[in-house]
Amino acid sequence: MKRILKITALVAVLGLVAAACGGNDDSGDDGATSEAPSGDLSGGTLNMAQLADVVSAFDPQKEYYSVTWEYYRCCLLRTLMSYEGVPTDQGGAEIHPDLAAAEPEISSDGLTWTFTIKPGINYAPPFDDVTITANDFITAMKRTANPKANVGGYSFYYSVIEGFDEYGDGEADEISGMTAVDDTTLQVTLTAPTGDFGYRMAMPTAAPIPPLDGAELGAAEGHDKNYGRFLVASGPYMFEGSEAMDFSVPAKDQAEVSGYIPGREIVLVRNPSWSAETDELRPAYPDRIEVSIGGDNDDLYNQVAAGEIDFVVDGAVPPDKIKEYQSDPELQDRMNVYPSDAVRYVSFNLAMPPFDDVHVRKAINWAFDKEGFRQLRGGATTGEIAGHVMVNSLQNNLLADYDPYATPNAAGDLAKAQEEMAQSKYDSDGDGVCDAPECEKVLAITDREDPYPKQSALLIQFLEPLGITLDVKQLERGVMYTKCNDMNSQTPLCAGPAWGKDYADGFTFGDPLFGSSGLWESCCNYQAMGATPEQLEGWGYDITEVPSADEKLSECTASTGDERFQCWADLDTMLMEEIVPWVPYLFDNSVDIISPNVTNYSFDQFAGLADFGQMAVSGGAA
Amino acid sequence: MGRYLIRRTLFLVLVLFIVSLLTFLIFVKLPAGDPARRAVGRSTTPEQIEAARLAFGLDKPIYVQYARFAKGLVPWPGLFLTEDVYYSYGNFVAVKEEIYRRLPVTVTLAVGAAVIWLAMGVPIGIISAVRKGSIWDRAGMVFALIGVSMPVFWLGQLLLYFFWYKLGWAPSSGLEIGDSIWQSIAAGKFILPWITLAFTSAAFYARMVRGNLIETMSEDYIRTARAKGLAEKRVIYKHGLRGALTPVVTMLGLDIGLLLGGAFITETLFGLPGIGQLAVTSIGTNDFPMVMGVTVLGALFIAVANLVVDVVYAFLDPRVRYT
Repeated sequence: MKRILKITALVAVLGLVAAACGGNDDSGDDGATSEAPSGDLSGGTLNMAQLADVVSAFDPQKEYYSVTWEYYRCCLLRTLMSYEGVPTDQGGAEIHPDLAAAEPEISSDGLTWTFTIKPGINYAPPFDDVTITANDFITAMKRTANPKANVGGYSFYYSVIEGFDEYGDGEADEISGMTAVDDTTLQVTLTAPTGDFGYRMAMPTAAPIPPLDGAELGAAEGHDKNYGRFLVASGPYMFEGSEAMDFSVPAKDQAEVSGYIPGREIVLVRNPSWSAETDELRPAYPDRIEVSIGGDNDDLYNQVAAGEIDFVVDGAVPPDKIKEYQSDPELQDRMNVYPSDAVRYVSFNLAMPPFDDVHVRKAINWAFDKEGFRQLRGGATTGEIAGHVMVNSLQNNLLADYDPYATPNAAGDLAKAQEEMAQSKYDSDGDGVCDAPECEKVLAITDREDPYPKQSALLIQFLEPLGITLDVKQLERGVMYTKCNDMNSQTPLCAGPAWGKDYADGFTFGDPLFGSSGLWESCCNYQAMGATPEQLEGWGYDITEVPSADEKLSECTASTGDERFQCWADLDTMLMEEIVPWVPYLFDNSVDIISPNVTNYSFDQFAGLADFGQMAVSGGAA
Repeated sequence: MGRYLIRRTLFLVLVLFIVSLLTFLIFVKLPAGDPARRAVGRSTTPEQIEAARLAFGLDKPIYVQYARFAKGLVPWPGLFLTEDVYYSYGNFVAVKEEIYRRLPVTVTLAVGAAVIWLAMGVPIGIISAVRKGSIWDRAGMVFALIGVSMPVFWLGQLLLYFFWYKLGWAPSSGLEIGDSIWQSIAAGKFILPWITLAFTSAAFYARMVRGNLIETMSEDYIRTARAKGLAEKRVIYKHGLRGALTPVVTMLGLDIGLLLGGAFITETLFGLPGIGQLAVTSIGTNDFPMVMGVTVLGALFIAVANLVVDVVYAFLDPRVRYT
């Protein structure tokens, strides 16, 4: 007995000693550089945490995830055009020349774009003796077209390049519309005028890939599945251990870069080839960026508050922390709230009764308690009430005050709703209440995670006075989106979707959400807009005609400059007043908090989160 | 014994194939969506989905698809979890790589927790049994009741909040960048996870040891030992405990086998990149090859644990013989 007690006590003591040794450590900076001189924000180690790993192990042709896009933009990859990493109201939606020496020259017919590339910019090790040339961008586009390499990516944005699809289908050896006129001149020929092409060349998939012994895909040759584990950087940072990568051996024998361990950690260090003199877009303050992957959301935010880590990349600030930071004057500066350029909405299937009647759709817009929905999400901090479809930055704020269904306190207006319903064919006696069987037990699907079930309960409540009753089904998020998208499922109402931009142009909202190109089996036109009678019949619908916005979409896609912003605004008003495919209710906010160690912060409108390279931690990081 | 071992090993292989087949069928029938569509992301074209389907081999007949995965279950170099079949549909990382990298974390968690729950549970059970009806017995069983009632996720959050956030006695969750497993252990990163995992099991083992020891102490051979004049301590520890602990060994093997498949709540809560965390994220993303790998690995651990325990049982209890 005594022996057992002694052993137990020893284990307990050892445990306490170990805990004390590993206890909360507020020791100072362990970064590569010494404390920065005052006025200089450079230096230190930025410590971050991420709940989940990036989606495709940093493969730029596969990653379709805003978190990874931020790593690319701020830190790892430069592109012909790029962003400054600032909010929209500071010009964050505008693209600037990055590896391009100047704005591209565009031919008068809008079909030929010519980029001049800055000379003398080299890749990160182990390609630090290789200069970025025009041909390297063609290599990137070839890999973007390659169906083995682009799984999960967004290659569809580049089908507008002449010969892109043919190359991807194996029908051509080159992309005929891309020519390296010389090392510093890239010419791109398009199949149709595309006003936002500059934005598409600012996407990470368009970042250059270094050449390697004449291989078709350069350094990415042989890494169809996992080039991200061998990524050659061109930005101010690279993965730690990049210099040790050996591309002289066959691809299958190459060792992955040590600075990224999937599911475990990401470590970025300075790229010795990068110079601030050639890069006006990135201040790159920290010397080192360390990111641990995994953990509990609430615990990670406690660590931020305690200064153990500086930032949580993909978390959701707990409501009690939001309240704490909002109410404490000393903490307010450490909470950042910015529009994330995403919209939350309820969508109607225009081929399903009763939503084939525009008066019913308008009536629901009038009745909708948008403030109630927002409160269920967490209140005013979570976003701005949405009065129209597209987030304001995509239209240069032209519709910032536009809300054709505005009601007092955004709580809905039953009287106006009934006035609209009375005009519907489903209200035979014109009393403002639907009396047709099509309004009974209307199938509505939503997300099963909080707060969607509660929002559905509210939806049921304010639709009932209009004579519309719902049969709500709560589904796992992925299944919900598939059902909303699949026209064969004939789902009348989709109550849980949200949509964020890919880049700051209305094309990323317009076509996929409202164009016929976004119909099933493509994504994400849940309204059946633009469907042909044959398509409708094939999906089993009785209705043979639905509204279309394809003509307006084509017009906007081809336009440029201020005319383009106005066109998207005109499309938005057309959607809200004539077609009414949705009830948009919230323009989402991004809410984050930073640790006391962070001495500079900037929100990057492009990715919708903080610019990691602008988070200075001089002298304070643990 | 030799023939017994061969039979059990063959049975183990059969179990693995049945588990793999069931896992495969569940995924084929699960309404969680097409893995190819999920892999290509939100804005897709039919061509992209088809390309993904081809890349993943999802265009092949069901039985061909299963055969590809089944081949990777053969424990032979070059075949086991082969990388051309067993790679994540999400990030294309090889299943083998993920499992081998995460296994040390899970093993550390499981073994450390087992040491603690044995160190806590067995003494408490012995004291409760030896001093049955006393205040020590009642205290032990209250501990057991609290332990088995306390949810792991709640206990873990509580320990983190008080011992790290408020008192600063324990380190924060997650492993430090660049640290090895041994460095992480030395830094105390596993203390709270071990306690969290061990607490419930310690309570359960305390009850089990108490019950077994009370029963064993009423056996005839114990009465004979006392009648021969042996000291009470010797009667309890040399004769009584041996019989009482035999079922505990059985349970221990099974519990460790289960834990090696991943204590996903504890791993997720404490930011430990182990097998359990991998299982949770893979299931959530419908990442079939990863789920298959983790499920079969979990089944393998439990089956091997069963086998080891049965063999050890024969050594502990001379009445047990296998043929």
